[in-house]
Amino acid sequence: MAAALTALAPAYSPFFGCMGAASAIIFSSLGAAYGTAKSGVGISAMAIMKPDLIMKSIIPVVMAGILAIYGLVVAALIAQGLDEAPTYDLYDGFCDFAAGLSVGFCGVAAGFAIGVVGDAGVRGTAQQPKLFVGMVLILIFGEVLGLYGLIIALILNTAH
Amino acid sequence: MGVYDSGRGGKGSYAIGCYAAYVITLLVFIAIGLFYMFSGRGSEFDVGWVLESISSYTWACIGIAIAISFSVLGAAWGMFITGASIVGAGVKAPRIKTKNLVSVIFCEAVAIYGIIIAIILVQNIDDTTPEDWLDNYNTYIFNGYCLFFAGLLTGMCNLACGICVGIVGSGAALADAQNGELFVRILVIEIFGSAIGLFGVIIAVLLGNNRKISSS
Repeated sequence: MAAALTALAPAYSPFFGCMGAASAIIFSSLGAAYGTAKSGVGISAMAIMKPDLIMKSIIPVVMAGILAIYGLVVAALIAQGLDEAPTYDLYDGFCDFAAGLSVGFCGVAAGFAIGVVGDAGVRGTAQQPKLFVGMVLILIFGEVLGLYGLIIALILNTAH
Repeated sequence: MGVYDSGRGGKGSYAIGCYAAYVITLLVFIAIGLFYMFSGRGSEFDVGWVLESISSYTWACIGIAIAISFSVLGAAWGMFITGASIVGAGVKAPRIKTKNLVSVIFCEAVAIYGIIIAIILVQNIDDTTPEDWLDNYNTYIFNGYCLFFAGLLTGMCNLACGICVGIVGSGAALADAQNGELFVRILVIEIFGSAIGLFGVIIAVLLGNNRKISSS
């Protein structure tokens, strides 16, 4: 016979945990993809005039990729902690759901910021080399937004 | 604008139509819930019952379908974005056509990720007996959810990855047409882009591996 289910640990509890794991990786991938594509277009455009600046301009692409890694870490942690119903109750499920959403949506937001700033920044740096430091500073602030989501996701995931 | 004016009443009408559709759907659900609540049958509006009643096979199979279909959609979308640029830029610089097939192959890899995950997930489904369902009810329900979300996340990550690789490949083709040395350096960005689909595959395998809904 299956283990006894209670009102606080119904059979559908793992649904929310799984949804959290999925949201974490899906939304942070969306943000990373947007950041990579938007910066990539800027880099391709400015590479024609200044080919030697390409390697320095990979920075926005790398920072967008790091957002996907934040999502990967949280999704892996949630997936490792999943289990079937009475062992994994609704509390666990909703904590993991919230963790996934927080890193996911923060990743989308940060990815959009990094993409737009990266695109404008690499085009500006090609014309005015002194802008490079400014672009990196703005990108770091954007990256930190994704980090905030990761912090809250880790707090939530370790809360159960 | 004269000849090309659609006459539908402005640029925002499509956006307003979408927004109205979302709001009306949301209001219908809220209204149904309120009807249940005010007639004293609030406990019958049961999301958990819906989640449990939908067969685990439904969850699993729809997950597998989403895995393969959205991955292929992402791959195709990326291919046409980059392909149009390759062919367009190749009019004046036909030398780019062979080297830039690498971008198309990166998009193809996204579809391969989808098919790999779909095949891995399909191995988990088989026939079950009613006695088995009684014994393993919690496990089968859990496995159904895992297979659904493993498939869903593969499809969505590969969709994003495919479009990203396509856009960057398009930029690479246009830059390559101007200056032949640029392609290899912009290819680095495409590699970062295709890593996104790979992350989706990793989590899908973690989530969906060995989640069996079968009696044997």
